[in-house]
Amino acid sequence: MNAATDFSAVDMRDAFFLRLYDIARQDPTVVVLSNDFGAPSLDRFRADLPGQFVNAAISEQNMISMAAGMAMAGRKPVVYSIASFLTLRALEQVKVDICVMGAKVMLVGVGCGYAYSVDGPTHHATEDIAIMRALSGMTVWSPSESRVAGAMADLVSDLPGPAYLRFDRGRWPGLGAFDLTRGLRVLGEGEQVAIIATGIMTHRALAVAETLRHSGVACRVIDLLRLSPPDRGELLAALAGAGRVVTIEEQAAPGGLGGLVAEFMADEGLLRPLLRLAIDPALVFAYGERDRLHGERGLDVDGAVARIEAWMRR
Amino acid sequence: MIATPSKETPMPPTESVADLKRKANQLRRRVLEMCYAHGGHISTCYSYVEILVALYYGGVLRHDPSRPDWDGRDRFLLSKGHGETLLFAALADMGYFPAQWCDTAYRGGECRLGGHVDHKIPGIETTSGALGHGLGLGCGMAWAAGRAGRDHAHYVLLGDAECSEGSVWEAALFAAHHGLGNLVAIIDRNRIGSLDFTENYIALEPFADKWRAFGWEVREVADGHDFDQLIHALAAERPTDRPMAVIAHTVKGKGVAAFENDPTWHVRAVTADLIDQARAELMEENR
Repeated sequence: MNAATDFSAVDMRDAFFLRLYDIARQDPTVVVLSNDFGAPSLDRFRADLPGQFVNAAISEQNMISMAAGMAMAGRKPVVYSIASFLTLRALEQVKVDICVMGAKVMLVGVGCGYAYSVDGPTHHATEDIAIMRALSGMTVWSPSESRVAGAMADLVSDLPGPAYLRFDRGRWPGLGAFDLTRGLRVLGEGEQVAIIATGIMTHRALAVAETLRHSGVACRVIDLLRLSPPDRGELLAALAGAGRVVTIEEQAAPGGLGGLVAEFMADEGLLRPLLRLAIDPALVFAYGERDRLHGERGLDVDGAVARIEAWMRR
Repeated sequence: MIATPSKETPMPPTESVADLKRKANQLRRRVLEMCYAHGGHISTCYSYVEILVALYYGGVLRHDPSRPDWDGRDRFLLSKGHGETLLFAALADMGYFPAQWCDTAYRGGECRLGGHVDHKIPGIETTSGALGHGLGLGCGMAWAAGRAGRDHAHYVLLGDAECSEGSVWEAALFAAHHGLGNLVAIIDRNRIGSLDFTENYIALEPFADKWRAFGWEVREVADGHDFDQLIHALAAERPTDRPMAVIAHTVKGKGVAAFENDPTWHVRAVTADLIDQARAELMEENR
């Protein structure tokens, strides 16, 4: 790793591509495909490693099929796009060409949830967790900070199968130590409520937990770095002793993180009160500044705290 | 730029046209019995029998049935994956897998051979059944092979109706821009989709001009059931700096009069009242 680079000070995708650049210089089989979508950190990659970059143009279906074909021919393809186009436009290609055939392709989608704010529903990835975790064989990674996104580049060297990495936009500061092999980390020690989050909503969960602590509610936060498949042992250990469970996510409620946790708890017989804070399906499609959209949907700190407190009083 | 395709061994023996015709007839009879017993898209298969026989038995494809994963093989991708019956029959005939799979494990039972081609079957490169994927997969393979300095070729067989998929033309743009001379698209131009003749619902013509306009070398085969024409188009020297489209004009259901050029046969089952007549016609042709 480039010791001079402080990944916490750059965008998630730049942390990823800066690290991937180092890997790709050593491994000529690494290939980046993009649907005519760039990033500041990708400029150096394209300039220095032109044989390992393919601008596949605005043709996501062909881009995914080609990536699968490249993987079958011994390459390590990394497909880069805005998350909504990657997960929706070419979904059948992702299922058939990548998942059915077990092609070792890394899909990197940028712009989770409402990250593209005023650009609206075409650019929002508000269903990507539900979609991608439904695909058999797909591993879904969801970094909460730039350093974690950078570390995830190393996964390309030895993928066990298809992978989807969902990145946010912007710089996200470090939240402490992490170990990707565990798939999650626990932040704080509170017994009353375990708040499970993923991606940048982990930062929101920490703020919610802090506010609740001031009201005397002891919370821990679980940052799911690998959403699917969750590590059973790690998640059981992370939830041990927690009286209640809350999930908070910037996704349409059906099938998202809350659904994942509900399924997990039901399957494990972990019968605790569960509150899912997600986007009301009726309110998903919208344009606006991200903070405003969160506030209107009860996903800002005040809204989340109020909903959790009301739920705890019931 | 013109180059002779490398012919690194092993190659299948190149059979005489008479032998190839006998092989085509034998496979048609095999497909008939498989479809009669288990189902399948018989007219879809019959339109590309000669194309497949030319590729595998006519010395076009570099392949080795005893080594399905041999890295030096040419890749054949059946993009119209619902034509699986014929490919299964041919691969079994060549020894890629036991012939009895076609009788006991096709479209039922342990289902080693399902209702579409699957990459897990020996000799089959890619799973298909959803249309419009094969050319993109072939592009990725061809791009990677070219970058790695490999000399094997990639042949993708598409149905003509499949060419309504936008992804086909996405791939066509890519292949031409990147000069993928190791990629050949063969289009089974039988002019029939599932419900109707292509020109009646989404006209593809001028079809060859479309491929030319996309930057492809185009060869039309006036009779896609004629081995001399097919092998000439597929095996003659071709440009190394651009992909090639071979448009084979075929008859859907070719070989049995009742199946020929009739859209309804895309999904019809071979039933007891037709089987004797079909067998008789194919036996007659075999004489």
